[in-house]
Amino acid sequence: MEGSESVAGRLLGYAAMVLLLLVFIGPIIWFVLLAIRPAETYFSMPPVLSFKPNWESIRYTFFDPGNNAPQLLNSLIVAVGAVALNLPFSFPAAYALSRYKIRGRKHIMLWYLGLLMAPPVAFLIPYSILASLAGVKGTYFSMILISQTLTIPFSVWLMRSFIDEVPIEIEEAARIDGAGTTTILLKFILPMVMPGLIVTSMFAFVFSWNNAAFPLVLANRSTTTLPVGTLQYFGTAGVTWGFIASAAVAAMIPPMLIFLVLDRYVVRGLTFGSVKG
Amino acid sequence: MSAVSIAAPPRARRRLPDYTPWLLISPSILLLVALIAFPLLFALKNSFYFWNLQMGPAPMGFIGLDNYRMALSNGMFLESLRTTLLMTVVGTTVQFSLGLAIALLLLRRLHGIKMTRVLLIMPTTIAPIVVGFLFRYMYDPNGGLIPWLLTSAGIPLPAAGLLGSPSTALWAVLFADIWQWTPFFAIVLYAALLAVPGEIVEAAKIDGVSPWKQLLHIKLPLIRKTALIIVMLRFMQIFNTFDLVVVLTKGGPGTSSRTLGYSLYQAGMVDFNIGVSSAMTWMMVIIVNAIIGLFVFFAFKDWD
Repeated sequence: MEGSESVAGRLLGYAAMVLLLLVFIGPIIWFVLLAIRPAETYFSMPPVLSFKPNWESIRYTFFDPGNNAPQLLNSLIVAVGAVALNLPFSFPAAYALSRYKIRGRKHIMLWYLGLLMAPPVAFLIPYSILASLAGVKGTYFSMILISQTLTIPFSVWLMRSFIDEVPIEIEEAARIDGAGTTTILLKFILPMVMPGLIVTSMFAFVFSWNNAAFPLVLANRSTTTLPVGTLQYFGTAGVTWGFIASAAVAAMIPPMLIFLVLDRYVVRGLTFGSVKG
Repeated sequence: MSAVSIAAPPRARRRLPDYTPWLLISPSILLLVALIAFPLLFALKNSFYFWNLQMGPAPMGFIGLDNYRMALSNGMFLESLRTTLLMTVVGTTVQFSLGLAIALLLLRRLHGIKMTRVLLIMPTTIAPIVVGFLFRYMYDPNGGLIPWLLTSAGIPLPAAGLLGSPSTALWAVLFADIWQWTPFFAIVLYAALLAVPGEIVEAAKIDGVSPWKQLLHIKLPLIRKTALIIVMLRFMQIFNTFDLVVVLTKGGPGTSSRTLGYSLYQAGMVDFNIGVSSAMTWMMVIIVNAIIGLFVFFAFKDWD
């Protein structure tokens, strides 16, 4: 197909490629520039492309005490906590769903998938009030716990696809040698699916990092996460655009880096393991 | 690209008591059921009570189905349901079509195409709330990039701005979602198309089947399963949209961009009417379950 292509066809292809990058990457660069623009060029039209970088926004949001730097740490605590809590639940479940042909397996898998498609907004008000009643509102724990409604179903799906790829013979041999399920799980399966487990955990981290709905109602001022932290500059005068961009860009960087590192697995992660990219 | 392979160990299975898999699965299910059942039952109870958080910290009296009646009578629910369905159907269709077109481009052998593919997914990695801010900046009627580009191209714009005009607000919100998620379709469909066996396509080519028909009658049916999964996922995610709306329009102007998710958010988090928002929660949960049920019934019958 490519060999017989005309010059015009190839040129058209390159033009489309450049357009693609302009449309989908251009806005991200534009927003990054906002974080380091002098305030008077935020909205100057035609757009000003060359300017002397102004580090004031970044200094204010991340180097002045009490602004966004603690939120960066909060996001990290909640996302790492959510991943850590989810593993002991999702790993055994993923193993069982991969290896045992139990009745209703399809329905259990679809039930997990259904949770990933549930409307988070429908649960916000009950979670908010119930967390207050339980006295855990504003704690990292409440956010980490509620995040499990996303991280567990996601991890079960993705991890299962990795466990499916581990040959069964090793386990069978171990079983004949008298190993129990716990031993098999921890001594044989775990080391073999470790790469898959790490990939799953990294995607689950992004999932949790980007979730703004639960921290929106469960966090307090000192435990709020970075994506939600951008809201604090919201509704005030236009001068805060630099602060918004600075906090937002910092929130963007970890997921982007993880996706770049996991390039090989991106399709698999985004489809919860159902498409092996 | 096949979803899952069934790996049943027949010998091992006989040696094991039957409850082992359930012991392994049940902790996750119990935790999830608890995390879902508590809020849902709590909302169910509240949906029958008059309760405004501004007036008191506890429910203020049983009022039967009045919250449901109220949500349905003032058009808040039905109108936003209509808006949401429109946005969801248009959004899913546009994202799938554009994504497919981009996937076909990504399959071509051009210099730099791999780097383009790697970079293309970046919008999808951003938190929706941040995408909201990004577009609010770019839509700003006083010097935003998008109005400037459109005006420069000679396209007339509403004076109140793209987000401030009832005829464009919903589409401006949807455009942000399309920007974020079209790359998702492109990358996944690209991977699926890449896995289509070359011999099948070659045979069709020799038979003189046009490229368009190859796509429609050979390639798309082969990647049907993948396509269905991502269409279902995105359909539900757009249906549940509320954070983009919070940042971009707050449902306005008027009710022009009020999605179902935002209506619910407004009833509970802005008006503090726990009763009405709980009634809407249940109606939304039932609708979402019905749609997922339809997908599963029609699309996943032969699955696994």
